[in-house]
Amino acid sequence: MPVRVVESSAPSQVSGGNSGNTCPQPCTLLSVGQAFSGTQNVSSLQKDEAWRVNVRIQGCDLDHGYLCGTMEALNVPMADTPVVTFWEGEIVDTKNYTFFTGKWEATPEDDIRHWSKFPSFSPLQNQVEADGGKSLDLSNYPYIFMRWKELYFVNVGTDCGLTIAGFYYVCFSCSDGSINGFYYDPNSSPFQKLELKSTNEGRPGFSFSAYELQ
Amino acid sequence: MPSSVSPATSASRPSTDLVARLSSSDLQVQLKALRDIKNQIIGNRTKKLTFIKLGAVPAVASVLADAFDAASCCASSSDLVVQSAAALGSFACGVDAGVRAVIDAGALPYFVRLLSSSDEKVVDSGARSLKMIYQSKLAPKYDFSEKVNMDFLLSLLNSENENVNGLGAGIITHSCETSAEQKVLCDNGVLLKLIDFLEGSISQRDASLESLASVMKDNTEVTSKFVEYEGGRALNLLVKLTSERSTRTRLLACACLIIIRNVSPGYLKGKGIETKLICYLLELLEEPGQVGDEASFTLSSFIEDKEDLQKLAFDANAIDLLCTHLQKDLLQPQRLEGILLALAHICSRLEVCRAKLLPMQAFDSVNDALRHDCADVRAAACMCMRSVSRSVQNLSAGFFMNEKIVLPLLQLLHDPTLSVQLAALRAISNIVVDFRTRKSSFVRWGGVKQLVQLSMSMNPSIRSNSLWALKNLTFDADNKCKEGVYGELTASSLASLIGDPEPPVQEQALALVRNLIDGSLDSVQYVFAEDSIVLDAVGRQLQRASTAEVGMQGMYVLCNVASGGEVHKDAVMDQLLRDTKNSSSPFITQFLQSNDSRLRTASVWVVVNLTTPSCRGVSSRIGKLRNAGIISQLKNMVNDPCLDVKLRVRTILGQYMTFGDS
Repeated sequence: MPVRVVESSAPSQVSGGNSGNTCPQPCTLLSVGQAFSGTQNVSSLQKDEAWRVNVRIQGCDLDHGYLCGTMEALNVPMADTPVVTFWEGEIVDTKNYTFFTGKWEATPEDDIRHWSKFPSFSPLQNQVEADGGKSLDLSNYPYIFMRWKELYFVNVGTDCGLTIAGFYYVCFSCSDGSINGFYYDPNSSPFQKLELKSTNEGRPGFSFSAYELQ
Repeated sequence: MPSSVSPATSASRPSTDLVARLSSSDLQVQLKALRDIKNQIIGNRTKKLTFIKLGAVPAVASVLADAFDAASCCASSSDLVVQSAAALGSFACGVDAGVRAVIDAGALPYFVRLLSSSDEKVVDSGARSLKMIYQSKLAPKYDFSEKVNMDFLLSLLNSENENVNGLGAGIITHSCETSAEQKVLCDNGVLLKLIDFLEGSISQRDASLESLASVMKDNTEVTSKFVEYEGGRALNLLVKLTSERSTRTRLLACACLIIIRNVSPGYLKGKGIETKLICYLLELLEEPGQVGDEASFTLSSFIEDKEDLQKLAFDANAIDLLCTHLQKDLLQPQRLEGILLALAHICSRLEVCRAKLLPMQAFDSVNDALRHDCADVRAAACMCMRSVSRSVQNLSAGFFMNEKIVLPLLQLLHDPTLSVQLAALRAISNIVVDFRTRKSSFVRWGGVKQLVQLSMSMNPSIRSNSLWALKNLTFDADNKCKEGVYGELTASSLASLIGDPEPPVQEQALALVRNLIDGSLDSVQYVFAEDSIVLDAVGRQLQRASTAEVGMQGMYVLCNVASGGEVHKDAVMDQLLRDTKNSSSPFITQFLQSNDSRLRTASVWVVVNLTTPSCRGVSSRIGKLRNAGIISQLKNMVNDPCLDVKLRVRTILGQYMTFGDS
């Protein structure tokens, strides 16, 4: 007999006595080895353009709000080969990182303007505007917010005509593993949208690998 | 009165002759021989071993016994007692063979009897020699629970003679290990006596500091008594001793404060002591000899597994200072080992520390130390490599996968010392994660062959660690690399490792299979080879899984198989429902009820894949899952406290409503 699924995933505010963990919980779809593919819209006033993008998670350390991996842009016009970059992510967990970036030329207004483009951010917005979201309990929220910052080009030189000066505001859905993001760089087209879906190398199901550092 | 012989003369005198003279009936000849032997062996390990081989120790012990009985009637006998006791003490100093020989010669009861002498010199000699014995691990354990022993110990601590006090403290340092022993010592007033000594002479202070460390180690009750003593007076004394002139006292006081901090960080909070301790220990690294050698080990014991203190050490410029020492020429092995260990601990958790060490020239010295003659140094260098290779950023950049680093580590897999082998395996485990396409280099250098050989070792730690390395190697690896591992390991060995008697080996073997069959769908075939020998082994192990970790890895293997087509999914169904005809519930039902959310997560993913709507045979599989009670168990989990489990259960029930309930 089917039963009703209880909807209880709205973020709650931490009460004074709550000593439990309020950070996002681990999600297998956002674990090491997981791959995503999709597009980044790089359209400008002159022309519509989207690059195909593959992402792979290489490291995840929730205690430190850390995530890292590679991003591969496939049909970049000025590059002969796919361009691979290594990025590091800050997970907004209200412990290690808040919704406010505080660096990379992003003001709190830039932050709110980008976060609020994600529909899943709207239940949090008031609290974030009040205290940066420090009092939010994100442990049962089915979305994980992150900032991804590319650090270096893996397979091309810095003279490739591309820039990694900016960073991404990212929202990950724990339910289906989809990723939405917006690239922010004051010197690039605003709100370049990144849309990725969890991939399974052509399998009709989910497969998971893992490594453990000693 | 006889005078001592000059070293030149004594060196030329044959050792056998000297030993023979110990049996002379002339007391003066005996005394001279004793002095000669004593002068030759002081600080000379080789000479000590030579004389021990010649049977000098029982001969000297015999002189002591005879002289002790006669000592009350003549001064010469008293001299013989002092000299023979001193010689025996010297044999025992820093040489295990000497300690064993002195104990075997039955000298200990005589040393104890010397302590009751009215002659202060005799008492001193007995106390010093006994103290030498108790500095060795070979010394007999002192039983504090015997009243007579405790009374004797208290008499030593209450003596007016500092050497006797030092002996008492030495016995505590040697024998106090358990919390029961710490408690009985504390209950009998030993703690207060040791606190008194903190204000005594240098020798009393140092002896007390060492004993206090033993009495308080990992013991909350005793430590809180010490900390709360007279409103913190004892603790303040200890802090004061960290600025003493004597470097040995400073080191021991630091070690004692670290023991207190390790019991409860709160005791030292707000005093700013933690940073000071790190700075004091870094200063003490400059000292020659034992103090400088021990300072790095003490620093390691302070920062090990404590990220906050590792950060403080980093801020105190510890990496630069340690690296400066590391690059000095002709470092003694113990000092080199200590510095490498300290670097290993500082870099164990924080990327900022690794980022500092890796580009430094001193990192070459860490690499060189992998080839050092001393096993402890090689093990410490491996630990340092292991710590720095935890850097995902550098692994991703392929920093470690090169001949200069990997080849010496591979050589250490054959090291005669087990601890070195294990340390090398752990470093290799990290390095092979290498996310770039350089895993093939590791295969080319023969790494896979060696790891597979070690996975058959008789030692379970070697087996599990070599499988761990193979697991990491196959993570995100291309088909060629996986084929290399699978071909070397073979399906039958893999199946037997999955059924290993040791759970850590089972866990790593299952995790290796999980990675082998991830990636391209073709790789799933590995578990179906040789009549599905591997898949059957997985199913059997899951039925009797002894730990949550084994269950979790096994379920991920099934999950990855079930991510394939209909044949794969049906094979997983067979494993899930095997042996359930005799009304026993399938193992997955127990896993779904586990307290470990990781095991529940792995289990629900298996069902997600089995109930994927787009795949043929889904209705039949859903029917079987329902009949086995698995669907009704999942319905109880819609509010699982683990979000990941809750979301997957929601997916499964959605799929069930589409196909299974029709």
